[in-house]
Amino acid sequence: MKRIGFLINPVAGMGGAVGLKGTDGNVEEARLRGARPQAQDRAQITMARLSLQDGLSFITCSGAMGETTLKETGVQDYQVIYQYNGESSAEDTRQAALAFKKTGVDLILFCGGDGTARDIFDAVGRDVPILGIPAGVKMYSAVFAIDPATAAELVTGYDVASLRDSEVMDVDEEAYRAGELKTRLHGIARTPVLAGKVQISKHVFEEEDEERAKKEIARFIREIMIRDVVYILGAGTTTDAIARELGIHKTLLGVDAIKNGKMVARDLSEKSLRVLLEQGQEAKIILSPIGAQGFILGRGNQQISARIVKAVGRENLIIVATPHKLRETPVLYVDSGDAVLDTEFGDTIQVISGYRMAQRKRIYRPELGKKG
Amino acid sequence: MQTKILLDEEQIPKQWYNVQADLSSPLDPPLHPATHKPIGPQDLSAIFPMELIRQEVTTDRHIDIPEEVREVLQLWRPSPLYRAHRLEKFLKTPAKIYYKWEGVSPAGSHKTNTSIAQAYYNMKAGIERIATETGAGQWGSAMSFATMLYNLECTVYMVRSSYTQKPYRKSMMHVWGAECIPSPSTKTNAGRAMLEKDPETPGSLGMAISEAVEDAASHSNTNYALGSVLNHVCLHQTVIGLECREQLAMVDDYPDVVIGCVGGGSNFAGIAFPFAGDKLTGKHKDVDIIGAEPASCPTLTKGLFTYDLADEAGYTPLLKMFTLGHDFVPPSMHAGGLRYHGDSPIVSRLVHDGVMRAVAYHQSEVFDAAQTFARTEGIIVAPETSHAVKSAIDEALICKKTGEDKTILFNCSGHGNFDMTAYDAYYSGQLVDYEYPDALIKEALARIPKIQ
Repeated sequence: MKRIGFLINPVAGMGGAVGLKGTDGNVEEARLRGARPQAQDRAQITMARLSLQDGLSFITCSGAMGETTLKETGVQDYQVIYQYNGESSAEDTRQAALAFKKTGVDLILFCGGDGTARDIFDAVGRDVPILGIPAGVKMYSAVFAIDPATAAELVTGYDVASLRDSEVMDVDEEAYRAGELKTRLHGIARTPVLAGKVQISKHVFEEEDEERAKKEIARFIREIMIRDVVYILGAGTTTDAIARELGIHKTLLGVDAIKNGKMVARDLSEKSLRVLLEQGQEAKIILSPIGAQGFILGRGNQQISARIVKAVGRENLIIVATPHKLRETPVLYVDSGDAVLDTEFGDTIQVISGYRMAQRKRIYRPELGKKG
Repeated sequence: MQTKILLDEEQIPKQWYNVQADLSSPLDPPLHPATHKPIGPQDLSAIFPMELIRQEVTTDRHIDIPEEVREVLQLWRPSPLYRAHRLEKFLKTPAKIYYKWEGVSPAGSHKTNTSIAQAYYNMKAGIERIATETGAGQWGSAMSFATMLYNLECTVYMVRSSYTQKPYRKSMMHVWGAECIPSPSTKTNAGRAMLEKDPETPGSLGMAISEAVEDAASHSNTNYALGSVLNHVCLHQTVIGLECREQLAMVDDYPDVVIGCVGGGSNFAGIAFPFAGDKLTGKHKDVDIIGAEPASCPTLTKGLFTYDLADEAGYTPLLKMFTLGHDFVPPSMHAGGLRYHGDSPIVSRLVHDGVMRAVAYHQSEVFDAAQTFARTEGIIVAPETSHAVKSAIDEALICKKTGEDKTILFNCSGHGNFDMTAYDAYYSGQLVDYEYPDALIKEALARIPKIQ
């Protein structure tokens, strides 16, 4: 029996259709503009499928935050443990997630957007795996299923032992509405994986185990590290695995610098990176694509600005990612803030994906479309 | 216009061509893995029959093909040479493209050219059983077929990733009466050690070779057979190129470009060595000979030319060849037959000497080429073969640019009828373009002295 905490952010996604680029603190405005709640509709697709499954027990919130959808889709086995009044808020999301964690759930399934993911992660961290049914305006986080039906497939099919790391992104909504995308890596949650979700992957014998894949990458990077060169490690768990391979404790969300197998600077800002690179210090930057879209630069690693990349030399960028992550991001993105530099990356890039192994990945080119 | 150029059965070559006779200096000898001294025939006699050991080292230019072997070859040889009119038209190239179709053999590839000869010599030496390895399954099925003809037993160690990927190859081996075991297995010390080190390993050709060699060395009635790399294997494959030369002469042509795909190097050697001989002896100095290999296992284009082990565990002699290191486990791409860390010492030497050259391709681009070929010429080629197709198309497109009407010959080494999951992966966008991060590795290697 899997115990699933289920919650909906009833207002998620309302701002999008009416041009608000996010609903946080804007629900009234969204309603005035004629927005209709859509999170329930999205969650219904998932729950209608799950209502037919045995072996699932749901813990949920009252009314529009969960109970209503469970009732409408005919889910029998559920328990309401969190009540909210009036308009649901971010605080309700956090409190509900915390209550789920306290009562003990195997997974929190939520319906919302980046803001909802962030609120739940703040409450439960990495203690409880989370999975999003996509319904928000912005979904830069990697905790979402591709669509509501796939979310149902993931809930029933995942193995508790196989979870992957997925970035929770923080988007500054005020700036976003002003036309500026400011995302920051907020945290790294754990999300279910469906082994062999695509039938073919069974045949090609992919590296399925994320941890193993990270270790293989780390082993390789350790082997090719050169003396007296500074290695700047970007955010994420793959770069963290490299630090662990060297016996170093890295800041998970920050940018650290390593030289001759030792930490030389932690949690660097753009400015301190510049200082580090003065006097012609030879350096290489090791980065992992961040977020659901797979951004090499511009999301989650903002400290590593275009200026820093140019100082180090574009050829000294080493991109690392697990085969699973690469399978989910068919195209990678570069958004350094410097259009000329972005173009210099060309159409494809090498990504280290294992021990002495790499994959060639396409880089998104707006003029060519996703296929590159 | 003629499409198929056919020889009569009596035109099957009566002798193999040994390119060692025409090398400017002898090959560097294989070294004993423990002593690092050149090995002698006795060192190999535990696992090979004496005649094959002789063929391995001889510098005789021509070696007679036993009549009993020619009789079996007659089942599918001489194989047809095709003029690829439809492909040429599609590409709008002035080049003439010919392909030698080796997929007509019972096992579906060129591999039977040597499996028959090897089984024959082992039978003659009184051997009762053959232990061998297979990557994609082509060699394993070819050897199963050959051992059946000469009443030998056969055990095939099949690289685990292919064992799962290509279940029908395994079925073929069963039909021909062989035993097929996924490698690494628990049957050998080498296999057990590898599994202990890494229970989830996809396996590699190097690992499977270790297992088969150990099996042969520890059973007196059993010999080992290798499907590629070794000199005698390349020798047996030269029937391909020798026939091509005759067939092209029938239409008054000679290739400007000769192409084959390269894993261990035997099918490439087969089509290329007779032409390399013409080049070495000055008869045709300008023939361009190209080996096409996968970017994920780019032995000839990115490897080092040095002595290395032919297997994972270190049972085999050290061979002077292009290598990525015997501990390199290539990714499980679909051209499983090209997943080998090293290369034929003769092919390596000829590439090193500039007699031949090599190119490397990613998976998706070779499948693009294979699709083009299937939709023009009809044949659905093996993923391995698609590398040669890609190279031939590239050369033809260069001719289109320059306006040259070159004659391009490539070895269409096998069909892909058991590789349809690979094509499915291609159509569903699931192919991964693996590549070898050689720049990082070389940069680190180059700096090693600074550390010490």
